Amino acid sequence: MTALEGIAYGFSVALQPAVLIYCLLGVTLGTFIGVLPGIGAMAAISLLLPITYYISPEAALIMLAGVYYGAQYGGAVASILLRLPGTPQSAVTTLDGYPLAQQGRAGVALFVSMVSSFTGSVLGIVVLVVLAGWLSRAATAFGAADYAAMMILGLVAASTIGSDRPLKSFAMVVLGLILGCVGTDVNSGAQRFTFGQTELLDGINLVALAMGLFGVAEVVGNIRDAERTGVPQKVSFRQMMPSRDDLRRMPLPVLRGTTLGSFFGALPGTGSTLSSFLSYAMEQRVSRSPERFGKGAVEGVAGPEAANNAAAITAFVPTLTLGIPGDPIMALMLGALVIHGIQPGPLMLEARPEMFWGLVVSFGIGNFLLLILNLPLIGIWVSMLRIPFRYLYPAILIFVCLGVYSVRESGFDIAVVAIVGISGYLMALAKFSPALLLLGFVLGPLIETNLRRALLISRGDPMVFLERPIACGFVIATAALIVLTIWQGWRRRAAG
Amino acid sequence: MQRDWADIWGGAVLAAIGLGVAAWAGARLDFGTLRAMGPGFFPTVLGVALAALGAAIAVPAWSRGAEPAPIRLSDLAAVIAAILIFGLGMEWLGMVLACFIAVLVASIPAPRPGWLWRVVLAVSVTALTFVVFELGLQMGLPLWPDP
Repeated sequence: MTALEGIAYGFSVALQPAVLIYCLLGVTLGTFIGVLPGIGAMAAISLLLPITYYISPEAALIMLAGVYYGAQYGGAVASILLRLPGTPQSAVTTLDGYPLAQQGRAGVALFVSMVSSFTGSVLGIVVLVVLAGWLSRAATAFGAADYAAMMILGLVAASTIGSDRPLKSFAMVVLGLILGCVGTDVNSGAQRFTFGQTELLDGINLVALAMGLFGVAEVVGNIRDAERTGVPQKVSFRQMMPSRDDLRRMPLPVLRGTTLGSFFGALPGTGSTLSSFLSYAMEQRVSRSPERFGKGAVEGVAGPEAANNAAAITAFVPTLTLGIPGDPIMALMLGALVIHGIQPGPLMLEARPEMFWGLVVSFGIGNFLLLILNLPLIGIWVSMLRIPFRYLYPAILIFVCLGVYSVRESGFDIAVVAIVGISGYLMALAKFSPALLLLGFVLGPLIETNLRRALLISRGDPMVFLERPIACGFVIATAALIVLTIWQGWRRRAAG
Repeated sequence: MQRDWADIWGGAVLAAIGLGVAAWAGARLDFGTLRAMGPGFFPTVLGVALAALGAAIAVPAWSRGAEPAPIRLSDLAAVIAAILIFGLGMEWLGMVLACFIAVLVASIPAPRPGWLWRVVLAVSVTALTFVVFELGLQMGLPLWPDP
């Protein structure tokens, strides 16, 4: 299937009324969640996971993806108006967005952020199509050893790059890998860590785990903190009109941001938060007047917002073509597909074109919907910032419970949510990343299967990871990352 | 001296979990060989790794100071209680009562005095839940206590 045929086919999938509605639901909820400080995209996607049991896999993926990139749009609203990042990806937007709002130019900052987000996404879609086609052809040569080595690289990268405490991050990954072992061992049928509970035979329920880690823990952490928000100023569509000077300053930062975002989004373990920070640093460096940054520079909003949206789109490249999620949010998406018995991989573009092309086209439609939702209707979202968190969180808790309960009407899963919720809150408090635990949990069974298969084929010779050129490349990259991290830690200690 | 208790406790708990996992898997599951890994291979190796990582986190934290993070036990207790009341109480209290009580309990730590708004909130959330999940999604929840 050529790209043009694929896109035509994708339209036939994404324009089905039911799919379109789930796309709209996803992006609207995503914006809502993004606007509200205190609840992130992880929590929102966890909340929607139970619905995915009842709808077709392509509608499920399109809806969950919509939440993810929708949250990137909404996240900028609170960043600009209240200097409170609605999502971690939009934290950089506070640096210049908030000063712009203080100068009475909040509308312009929002306009720049929305249009940059849209452009970044649309260019990101092009990159996605090109990279995915190329990578799924390359990946047909991948063997079990290559997959295992690549996943381990992904986990090491996720816990070292951009982490100030790589040891703690990596410990959470390992804990996640252990939790992924719970249940019946596929190869031998042995029961691992089930302790006689029949509910655990299929492993820990992903929905219950995600809800506890993100839904419950984020609610507890924010009951008091999310109340301290100020009152946002009113913004109307008319105030969003940028000046000619603002428009002139946008294109290059958006292009640079998109390039950075597309690259780091597709790279496992990095993702959109890092790319928005890098884009900001880059804009400041190439600017002829770097002193304007931090005081309301339009470039400081345009670049990072384009970067994080492009990254949110290209993050699907490794997930869909290799079946390997590059970050915890992608791990949740992969989990949703596995619920439907779909294991993404190099053959997905050929075997399940409705999934891939439907998603690609839905990105376009969803971003267009977001532009409508966020430009003419911006006033509605700004007024949502006025809703105190105390009116929202009890309803969120009820939805968490009903969502978990609906999956298999089991009180056991509710108990899991409670236990995981307590642990997740304590983890977040002690700065142990629950998101990395989830990444390990989803990747664990895949790594174990491929590791076992690779060593079975090589008759137990671990040299297979160095003899195969692809696996060897990943092993070298992993080793380099570890050495680099140790060196950085040593240097930091020497300096401090 | 104020030590970095978050890392000491976090590392210690992780190390304990790692040792427990490795011991359990080592005793109960077949380790196998590198060529034919048994079900115990992966968990044992991971357990040992987690124990080592936990120790590496906890030990240096002993001689390092850090601002203690405020634990909000009452918030946590209210939220967990609400989940258990609603999730486990639905069977015999029915969705309506369980939801009403759960929202009331959940709202206890909210920073605004008075009970009237809490009752109004509980009634609204219960009504919303009924409309969305019973009328909309037709989940067939038990609505009232089983006589």
